Parts: sequence; C-alpha cells; structure tokens
Amino acid sequence: MEVIRDVFLFIFNNSNRILEYTVNHLSLVLTVLAFSLVLWISVGLIISKYDRFATSVIGLANILFVIPSISLFGLFVTIPQLGLGRKSAALALILYAMMPLVRNVYRGLKSVDKSVIDAGRGMGMSTTQILYQIQIPMAWPVVFAGIRVAVVMITGMATVATFIGERNIGRLIHHGITRGNAEMIIAGALVVSLIALFLDYLMGLLEKRVTSPGLRHSSENY
Amino acid sequence: MIQLEQVKKIFPQTTVPAVDEITFSINKGNICVFVGPSGCGKTTILRMINRLVEPTSGNIYIDGENILHVNSDELRRRIGYVIQQVGLLPHRTIEQNVGLVPRLLKWPEARIKARVMELLEVVGLDPSETAWKYPYQLSGGQMQRVGVARALAADPPIMLMDEPFGAVDPIVRGRLQDEFLRLQQEVKKTICFVTHDINEALKMGDYIVVMNKGKLVQKGTPMELLSEPANDFVKDLIGDDRGVKLLDLTRAESLMMVPESYPVARDCPCFIDAIQPVKMALEVMMKNDSDVVGVRRGDKVIGTLSWTEIKKHIHRISGD
Ligand SMILES: Nc1ncnc2c1ncn2[C@@H]1O[C@H](COP(=O)(O)OP(=O)(O)O)[C@@H](O)[C@H]1O
Ligand SMILES: [Mg+2]
Repeated sequence: MEVIRDVFLFIFNNSNRILEYTVNHLSLVLTVLAFSLVLWISVGLIISKYDRFATSVIGLANILFVIPSISLFGLFVTIPQLGLGRKSAALALILYAMMPLVRNVYRGLKSVDKSVIDAGRGMGMSTTQILYQIQIPMAWPVVFAGIRVAVVMITGMATVATFIGERNIGRLIHHGITRGNAEMIIAGALVVSLIALFLDYLMGLLEKRVTSPGLRHSSENY
Repeated sequence: MIQLEQVKKIFPQTTVPAVDEITFSINKGNICVFVGPSGCGKTTILRMINRLVEPTSGNIYIDGENILHVNSDELRRRIGYVIQQVGLLPHRTIEQNVGLVPRLLKWPEARIKARVMELLEVVGLDPSETAWKYPYQLSGGQMQRVGVARALAADPPIMLMDEPFGAVDPIVRGRLQDEFLRLQQEVKKTICFVTHDINEALKMGDYIVVMNKGKLVQKGTPMELLSEPANDFVKDLIGDDRGVKLLDLTRAESLMMVPESYPVARDCPCFIDAIQPVKMALEVMMKNDSDVVGVRRGDKVIGTLSWTEIKKHIHRISGD
C-alpha cells in the first residue's frame, strides 16, 4: 500500500518532467510507427508478389529481431551520420518492427483462401483488383495482429533509447535503477505500460474500422 | 454455342493428361452436363472454357470465335462461373458479392442495386433480409444460391457451373435443381454443368458427356445414355436401375395404346397426364391396384397405358 502511495506521490510531484518524457516517448514511437508501416507493409506486399525473396527477407527480419537492442542502439551511435539521439533510436526501432510487420503482411496475404481468389479470377477481376479488393482486405486481421505486436514492442524498447540521449520514460527507469529508487522505477514502468495500452487500444479501434465485419468472427483464429 | 476441338491438358510436372483430346459442342440454350468420377477432368474442362487453365493443345470457340483471341478478364466477365467451393468473398456483404461482376463492368450503382435485389429473389432468398448479411451468416444452401446469383448477375449468355449444388443435403439439392430448371426455362442460358452424380446429370442435362480419366466415354441425351450405354463403365455409372431411370424420362404418351373406341379408356380406374413420366403411371397404378391407367391431355382421354406395355418396353431397352 505504502509503495503505491509513494508511486503516485512521485508521479504527482514530478508531473512536469513525466509529461515531457511521455511526450518524447510518444513522439518517438509514433515516428517509428509511421515509417515502419509505410516501409514494412510495402516490403511485405513486394515479397508476397515476388515469392523467391520471401524466405531471405523474413530471415533477415528474424536476425535483426534477435540482436540485443542495446547493442544495436550503441552500434548506430558510432556511425557519424546518425550519432547520439533520435536518428539512431528511430532507425534501430524501425528495424525491430520489421519482423512482426513484414512477416504478418506476408502471412496475411498468403493465408487468403485460394478458392476466394479463384472465384475473383473466375469473375474476371484483374490481378490488381484481386490484390486490392480481395487479398488486402482479407489480410487485415493478420496484419493488425502484427501491427499491435509492433506497437507494444516499440513502446517498450524505446525506453532503452534513453542510453543514447532520448529523454523519455526510459530515463525515469534508468535513474531509478542508478539511485535505487523503487517508486521511480515503478512509475516509469507504469507510464510505459499505459502508453502501450493506450496505443494498442487506438490500433484496436482502427482495426475495427478497417476490417470488414464479415471477417471479424474469423480473426480470432490468429 | 461452345465448341471444343481436340482439347488436351497436361498439367506441368505430370505425364498423364488431365483432359485428353476432347471434342464436343454445346448448342445455345442447352444444358450440357459433364459427369464422371472425381478427378476425371470435369473441373479442368470448365476452367479451360473461361481460360483459368490454358489447354496444352486443341482449340475452344465461343460463338465461332477462338477464345484465345479475347482478353481473358473480359471473357470471364461474360461467362458466369459457379465454382465448386462456392468461393464467396467473406469480407463483402451478399449484396456486394452478387454485384461483383456488374461493378467490374461499371454498371450505374442504381442498376446494380436493382439487379441484385431481383436476383436474390430469383434464387429464392429474401432480398431485404439477406442483402446486408455476410457469407458466414448463411447456411450452406443459402451460400450456394448466392453463388448462383453471383454468376447470373451480369446476365451472361454462358454459365459454367461446377457442382453448384454439391455442398447441400439431398433434399435441398433436389429443390435447388427444380428451381434452377424452372429458371432456365425463362433465361435459356448455354450451360456447362459439372457433377459426379449421375442422377443429377440425367435430371439436369439436355445433353450429357460422360468422362473417365480425362477421356470422353460417351456423349448423348439422357435417353440415349440410358437406352444405349456405350460400355460397362457407363452401365456401372448409371447403376442397376437403368430401366426404372428410363421410365422417369419416358412420357406416358410415348408408350400408350390408342384405343379403338373411347369407352375402354374411360373405364380406367385412374388417370395421368400425357406428359407425365411413365414412372408416375406406375405409381398411380400401384396406388389404385390396377394394371392400366388412362392417359389424359387436358380433359380429354387420349389413350391407355398398361403394365404389359411398360414391361415390354423395359425388356426392349435393357436388351434381355
Ligand atoms: N493445377 C493442377 N496441377 C496439377 N494437376 C492438376 C491441377 N488441377 C487438376 N489437376 C489434376 O487433373 C486431374 C483432373 O482434375 P479435375 O479437373 O479437378 O477433376 P474433377 O473436377 O473431375 O474432379 C486430377 O488428376 C487432378 O489431380
Ligand atoms: Mg472438380
């Protein structure tokens, strides 16, 4: 009980700083998300069309995904054009988002029932019409599952970027650790979780708008 | 009119042709049924007609035009296709599914709406109740009706129907068949109909093509098939009740005796219509415990049909 009160007291007494960190945190996550969506959805579309690249591209995404984040951040800092700060942080996070996004876009497009595509072709739909009117709309549930994983993951991983100069919630946790201040660590973790939950909730709303009600019952399979 | 000339298909990485040098033609307004065991190449034939599969050799003509000279997407929009797995778009409403081809053809929206409502009615679905549903909300039989409506949507002169009533129970299937035959009386499409069920073939076909292992075994009217099966394969396919099946296709008037004087016919204890099948005459005879029925056309008695005549007929056709 005591701890909970102390945590809230801490948040209350440091609201300005926490607000600043939260805004920074959110803006980094949203920047990364915007670039990742455009980039990785395109890559997913391309490899689903040119299947021969699929295995190697998804393999690359898997390799990137298992590199410890702290080392990737550190590595980018050493590159002069990137240096300390947002560029390095954003780039590293974008690379981490590759795996859940590319893989799920590819999987989503490939998991579309063959007989439905066949029906589309048989009705006289062109390849482009089949992509935009059948494959993409039917892939949304799987794609969104990937997007939501990516969002939560980026939000958590962004905390590590504090080591390369980002002034975000990670800093709270980091300082908490160095000072042995439990309230600070818990407050940081709490805020990060809230940000993740909030973004996930927004994505959920978006998913509901984008995904056809005809698919919603089956989206639970993924 | 659809013509296939020596059409052959060998799929890549296979050696045995899936369809082997098949030649036949289907006249305008007729239903031609392809029947044969699973894997004999029925689906492949249909898919070659709308160019989902390209033949290895041979030619296909629609109304005299080689289909290779037509853009394949445009060709398909002119040919209604009911696929074996139904293949409704799960993310689209029934209205959008049925309106698919008209939208591809850029019909005005109001005309599409009206057409969809009309078609749902035609295939026996309540438009106001069904139009806004999604495929997962329908039963198997309802989905197959939507599949048929979708194929009919742009009023194509040709329809390819791949086991269109395959996924429903026999009772619903019988009803869908009846409704479809009634509809065909009005719309007079040229139809290629695929089934593995010989009874469905005999019921639906103006013309039947029997296939086995990619080869054409026999073609002819249901009557020809039943009375002169080309070989044991066709005999087996038809089954042991060939004679009785024939009676189902034979009109009472074709076996009746025209009496010297009417009173004889009028003495019959029971009657049937001239155009009813002989099978029905047997049914009526059994019910009335009689060896003879009177045959009527309208109110007029025009002849009699006796058990002896029917028996003679069966012996004649089964050749024993
Ligand atoms: N795309 C394909 N690739 C290779 N073989 C195929 C393909 N489609 C069908 N076949 C083969 O061709 C034969 C005929 O198939 P199909 O026309 O579907 O038969 P049916 O519709 O009469 O059951 C089968 O042996 C099947 O395995
Ligand atoms: Mg088939």
